[in-house]
Amino acid sequence: MSKLYPIVWKETKDMFRDLRTLSIIAVLPLLIMPLMGLSSIYLQRFQYGVAVVVDNDRASATIGNATFTSSDIANALARRLSLNGFTVYREESVKDFDVEVVIPRGFINNLTSLTSQALIKVVKRVGSSKAEVAISLVNAVASDLVRKVANAKVMLLASLANVSVRTESVIYPVVLSIGLVGPYGGATTPEEDIRARISRLISFSLIFVTTPSIAFITDSIIGEKERKTFEALLSTPVPRYSLVLGKVLSSSLVGLVAGLSDATGLLLFFAIPSVIYGVNLLGYLTPSIVATHASAVYISVLASLAMIMPIIIRTGSYRASQAASLSIIGISSIVFFISLYVDLPNLVPLVKYILYVIPYTHAVIMIRNAVVGLTVNSAVHGLIALAESSGLLLLSVKLFNDERIIYSKT
Amino acid sequence: MGGDAVVLSDVWKRFRNVVALRGISFRVRRSEIFGLVGPNGAGKTTTLRIISTLVKHDNGFVEVLGHHLPEGKSEVRRRISYLPEDAGLYHRLTGWENLLYFAMIYTEDVQEARKVAEFGATLTGLSRRDLGRRASEYSKGMARRVAIARTLMVKPDLVILDEPTSGLDVFSAYAIRGIIKNFVKKEGMTAIISSHNMLEVQSLCDRVALINRGKIVAIGTPKELIARMKASDLEEAFIRMVGDSYE
Repeated sequence: MSKLYPIVWKETKDMFRDLRTLSIIAVLPLLIMPLMGLSSIYLQRFQYGVAVVVDNDRASATIGNATFTSSDIANALARRLSLNGFTVYREESVKDFDVEVVIPRGFINNLTSLTSQALIKVVKRVGSSKAEVAISLVNAVASDLVRKVANAKVMLLASLANVSVRTESVIYPVVLSIGLVGPYGGATTPEEDIRARISRLISFSLIFVTTPSIAFITDSIIGEKERKTFEALLSTPVPRYSLVLGKVLSSSLVGLVAGLSDATGLLLFFAIPSVIYGVNLLGYLTPSIVATHASAVYISVLASLAMIMPIIIRTGSYRASQAASLSIIGISSIVFFISLYVDLPNLVPLVKYILYVIPYTHAVIMIRNAVVGLTVNSAVHGLIALAESSGLLLLSVKLFNDERIIYSKT
Repeated sequence: MGGDAVVLSDVWKRFRNVVALRGISFRVRRSEIFGLVGPNGAGKTTTLRIISTLVKHDNGFVEVLGHHLPEGKSEVRRRISYLPEDAGLYHRLTGWENLLYFAMIYTEDVQEARKVAEFGATLTGLSRRDLGRRASEYSKGMARRVAIARTLMVKPDLVILDEPTSGLDVFSAYAIRGIIKNFVKKEGMTAIISSHNMLEVQSLCDRVALINRGKIVAIGTPKELIARMKASDLEEAFIRMVGDSYE
């Protein structure tokens, strides 16, 4: 019988009987990820926001047939802010605001002039996230106003010059025509583009899978030493590679449980906007994307275990392992977080090759490439991550020193 | 070096600033129960760990079952079984599963492992019901019975027991001594037992080495050592031998 079998047999029994920890591992992503979805959509709305909209101009003027009134503009601003959850005050005396929007004296005069620019004064409170939301709403109202005023001015000038004018040709003389191209150069659909964007979120979700397996492998070795079972085991004929591999494989099964929960949590994350906005984001998750995600989860779990293992073996200490696990979680967070907004393979060579040393990078690229249809390339990156992890496990076997483990302080 | 099961010659071991062993030498004959006795910190556990292949000696010669250490540690590990001091069980496994785990490690297939574990179960003297309970529910005495059975059931050529009865009540210690005495003798195994319970060693061991401050101070049968020091028992003999140097 391979000596790997008894190790895996014992470790899996041991771990899967720790129901309390397992249930936390399995339930946490199921709660956290939908909560993330909910919070990203709802909390912004539930956040209390105060806006002040003041009309100091109280004027109106016409351009051609169009009449512009400062009070109408102020009302439009107030209505837009109010509809988006802001409490809107119309007096300048209110000072506890997130954003203050003032239509100054002379605004309508400048707005209708052909030689001046009109100014809306916006004051935002430092550090207020609601202020950012308010400014984007003000911008939306302002854009609408700009289009109307520009249209009126263009039509006026056209009639004075007695020329035929299409307003859009004057206001937007250049228009971008954006097409989509697939990884092999062929045309593709907007759905594929959305899928590629979703792949970033999927990669980011890997951030949750590293921690549980690290905790289990640390306990599997240092805990065994602390519970005084390790010394007897080390004196048996179990080869050290069986010991290392057996413990890693067993802990990776726990990681897989965490990963499955993570994948389900991800589906829930997408399900929430689907329900709220009637946008079927779940429809973008094809079986192959889900399968690639599951593979990337397992690879990331193995990578985490392979990275922590040499440190556990070398130090045999809880404290050192905890410090190391924090570093590994930090590294994984960096890679998974930057994958949200950076195309890792397109980084400058030095940075790219540094990141390529980290197995998580390949897990991210694996997902991204699979989503855009680069299946072979995706598999290659998966294999690179596995090869790097295997190298670290070999190092762990090399570093395995019975004496050091027995005498180290936990 | 003949047919001795264990040969240690001028073995030294240092841990940073502490010299744990200062040139100890002794031989353990095949099929004898050999006692290693001494106070705390004398070097008993370090000696047993060296023989168990877990710790490398700095200087000297160590041969176990005909294999030099550390070179022959893989061969030695297949033929020895070691019970460290305060050795624990896997708390989430049942007593039976604790036995089966070690049986699987020493055997080539699950069927064979089950037979070995069955034998271990009879050695424990515990009921089927108790063996089906998780080890976390065991008393210290029950846990030690399983640990001893786990060590002996594979019928190793050399069994190494570090303080096998330490911390146990009188009844549990008596039961453990019974298992060791009956089984080891019956199977003709070689055993090394460390203890600071001199009376236990006197009753179990064929020969005894007294160790103090990393040195062997005397070797012989309990009777010889008692006679040599004109003492009434081994405890008194040991105190007379090392009493002046022991603080």
